[in-house]
Amino acid sequence: MRVILLAGAVIGGIALVVFLVMVAGLLPPQTIRLVEGYMPMQLLAELAFFVAVFTLISYLLKKNGLGIPRFWQGISFWLFIILYLKYRIYPPIPFSVRAIYGTIAMVGVFMWMSGAEDDWKEFKKPILNVLDAVTPFHKALRTFYLIAIPIILWGFSYNSFLPNLDEPIELRTVHPAPPASTKVHGKTFVLQTASNPYRVNAEGKYDQEYSNKLITEQSMGRLLKPDANPWDPKAEGYLKFVREGGEIFFQNCHFCHGDNLNGRGLHAFAFNPIPANFTDPGTLAQLQETFVFWRVSKGGIGLPRESFPWASVMPPWEQHLTTDEIWKVVLFEYWHTGYYPRTWD
Amino acid sequence: MRHLRLKSQRLLLLIAAVGISMISGSAAVWTYAQESGGSGVPEGFKKSDFPAMPAAEDIEAGKRVYFTKCVWCHGVDGGGDGPSADRLWPRPRNFNQGTFKIRHTASGELPLPQMDLFQTVTHGLPGSAMPSWEGILSEDQRRQVIAFVTSQLVKDRKFDDKDTETFTVLQLDSLKPIPPSKESLEKGAQLVVDKKCIECHGVEGHGDGNAFNLKDDWGFPIQPASWHKCWNFRGSRQDPYNVKNIFRTFSTGVNGTPMPSFADNTTIEERWHIANFVQSLCERDAKGNPLEIDPLTDKPKTNFVIRSGPIEGEIPADPENELWQKRERRIVALGGQITHKPRNFVNRLDDVWVKSIYNDKHIVFMFQWEDRSKSVAEGKRPFQPTQVNLDEYGIKEQPPKTGEPDSIAAKQNNYTVYNDAFAFEFPVKWQELPPPEKPRFFWGDQKYPVDIVKWEADGSLRAFAGTGWDQDFEERDDFAEKMKLLKAEWKDGLWTLMIQRPLKGDYDEDTYFEMGKYIPTVFFAWDGHNGDVGRKLAVSAFYYTILEPPIPKETYIYPTVIAVGIVILEGWVLTRRANKRKGRI
Repeated sequence: MRVILLAGAVIGGIALVVFLVMVAGLLPPQTIRLVEGYMPMQLLAELAFFVAVFTLISYLLKKNGLGIPRFWQGISFWLFIILYLKYRIYPPIPFSVRAIYGTIAMVGVFMWMSGAEDDWKEFKKPILNVLDAVTPFHKALRTFYLIAIPIILWGFSYNSFLPNLDEPIELRTVHPAPPASTKVHGKTFVLQTASNPYRVNAEGKYDQEYSNKLITEQSMGRLLKPDANPWDPKAEGYLKFVREGGEIFFQNCHFCHGDNLNGRGLHAFAFNPIPANFTDPGTLAQLQETFVFWRVSKGGIGLPRESFPWASVMPPWEQHLTTDEIWKVVLFEYWHTGYYPRTWD
Repeated sequence: MRHLRLKSQRLLLLIAAVGISMISGSAAVWTYAQESGGSGVPEGFKKSDFPAMPAAEDIEAGKRVYFTKCVWCHGVDGGGDGPSADRLWPRPRNFNQGTFKIRHTASGELPLPQMDLFQTVTHGLPGSAMPSWEGILSEDQRRQVIAFVTSQLVKDRKFDDKDTETFTVLQLDSLKPIPPSKESLEKGAQLVVDKKCIECHGVEGHGDGNAFNLKDDWGFPIQPASWHKCWNFRGSRQDPYNVKNIFRTFSTGVNGTPMPSFADNTTIEERWHIANFVQSLCERDAKGNPLEIDPLTDKPKTNFVIRSGPIEGEIPADPENELWQKRERRIVALGGQITHKPRNFVNRLDDVWVKSIYNDKHIVFMFQWEDRSKSVAEGKRPFQPTQVNLDEYGIKEQPPKTGEPDSIAAKQNNYTVYNDAFAFEFPVKWQELPPPEKPRFFWGDQKYPVDIVKWEADGSLRAFAGTGWDQDFEERDDFAEKMKLLKAEWKDGLWTLMIQRPLKGDYDEDTYFEMGKYIPTVFFAWDGHNGDVGRKLAVSAFYYTILEPPIPKETYIYPTVIAVGIVILEGWVLTRRANKRKGRI
């Protein structure tokens, strides 16, 4: 049992050291990679792991008579959370959000510390010692704090009173409410009833179940199913339309939406809002195919006000593509990302 | 240690040349050859075993990866002729010849599949359309697709052909970089001249030397890299400020391009000096630190606020002036205009550095951007400067499918040359926009017209009103008269442009600047040698120009009040605590 505990503490200690070295910038910040799509779970698991490690370490230390005082336990755990939020989470979260999480963490630490009367007393003790200047060391410390606190707060408030010239935060609705119908190349499409004319089975009938069987696999890499290669010269019907849609995508769309449809194309870095990431479960997978058809046809300029039509560089594709081509591109996007279009019911 | 030994060897050679001892001389030559791994092997390289051939099941698995992800650019037979190819420059790699650019192997040799090609697939080739596949494909999948490409799509050469192939590998891990001391950088600066690097890469390293006469092995025009944008180095491996990458490219050359290997005519020490020097030219922030590179885009991070600083008196027209030198500069990213016809799939201008200063009457913007050529149109253009719909004048976008001979890559450097140009726009009456609403980024709209200022390389500076992407500009002559072109200079691959405009004009037509307010701004750039004209251009996202207000008095008063309050609070806490303790005792 002891060996297991010790081994756990050593592993945890190593993880902690790796994390601190990453914070210090001696190792690149993403030495332990965050896996796209699983980040929230991974981060929660990591945090839980560290909490377990801390419990273990403090238990072992206490058993060996080296227990850390309550006060420092609380402070160091809170500091750890702050550092973790700042350096581990990627993409970085803004300071205002971190401040909220930090405050919540502080409240949590206080609740933990004041759970039992004795613990609370132990926690308060170092603070009261300084206040009462019980020893000459505490007295020196008190004098230092008395002088430093007003100076530091002066600095902080000076900074906050400086005119703020940061980027203004503007919130944009990425998927606005669609219109009831849209007119493309002279033809009206009712979004509730229209369907992709190329999502067809071998008999040429609209069949989402059929096409869903032929999309890429929803696992790492999202590779095509071995018997469903759109580039097979014998590919007919749905798969052939997927290839045609892919050709159009790679002649027009990949410049922004990227070679993996993840919004990291050649020109993407220059634009704001950034191009949509179709591999993200929050885009295509949440939308009906006709919604995508409307968005592609009308582009950024056709967006409602809450979606910032003035800033989007998404072309109104009806200026560049035929209706058939647009449907095929939509078909390809669902195939490549391995998502099913959402249905109306 | 190594170069110390080399020095002593050279000394020995010198002694031999003087003729004191013939024997010691030949011994030195012999040790030299040993040191560099055998005869004919360049310094720092070592003859290596052939890479292992891939297993059949890896090839089969790799085929699945290839036909999901790669075929769209690289084509069914790996000929670099997938659906996207004709609108890309550089074109996707044609695998058939086995010519690969970024390697650890000596010039002309095949790459090491599971090292060089694995890194290429993992990190992508920045500055081209090849993205990083890390995090998208698993490591196994990346290795499998390389197995497929090297065994099935490389057709003219074989990775296991012992008669014709050799693998001479740069021992990069065992070579220790020389610290970039002042001395090393000076030596590097001299060496790039001696080794004729600057003939292609330009005197200042902006990639402007001989930029229009270079072709790759496939016959397509190719441009020398700009040393100032290391994040666009193909071989940067998502670690652009690392000298080892530069050292490697310099040692092995870039197969298929005019960039040769310098392994035979430079010592290792010289190569580190050059790598240090080239690395030192890459753009840095005001403190001299590397720019922060966004790992999602492999480009410098941008901040969407352009800050204009207040000064008293005249705004200097000299960029070397101290007022300009200490002014913060911000990078503005430019992408091709791909929204409306004619779309610009290949934009040669991908960023511009902006600084701004204002006084009580004027605001001056300074723009600096890399352009490998100064382009001024010859003769008179058939259309007016206000016209934007130029379809009928033959300004068309690249068709999607043309085949190699008419592809966008083949057309590079053969465009009709128009004026290099730069423009920026602000909304007219931005004060009345209901936030966050703005005019449409591309030359405004009917509801919200924009104030456009456009400079062209023929020396003209014009003011327009824009009311839509397809609406011809309207001239604002009276405002153009109030503007001043302080500087427009092209030197060694870099444009420096300084435009002065009044802070205030006619409120109904010209943008009216106010301190401390976010004024939406969009930047446009045209590269004349890229055939850029009209809507074929490079464009930025919405930025904000803000005139930094002078620091108000309150900024000093309130913190002091707070600090005094804290001192009083401290006194109160201490007295209370003391009283409490007294009571308890």
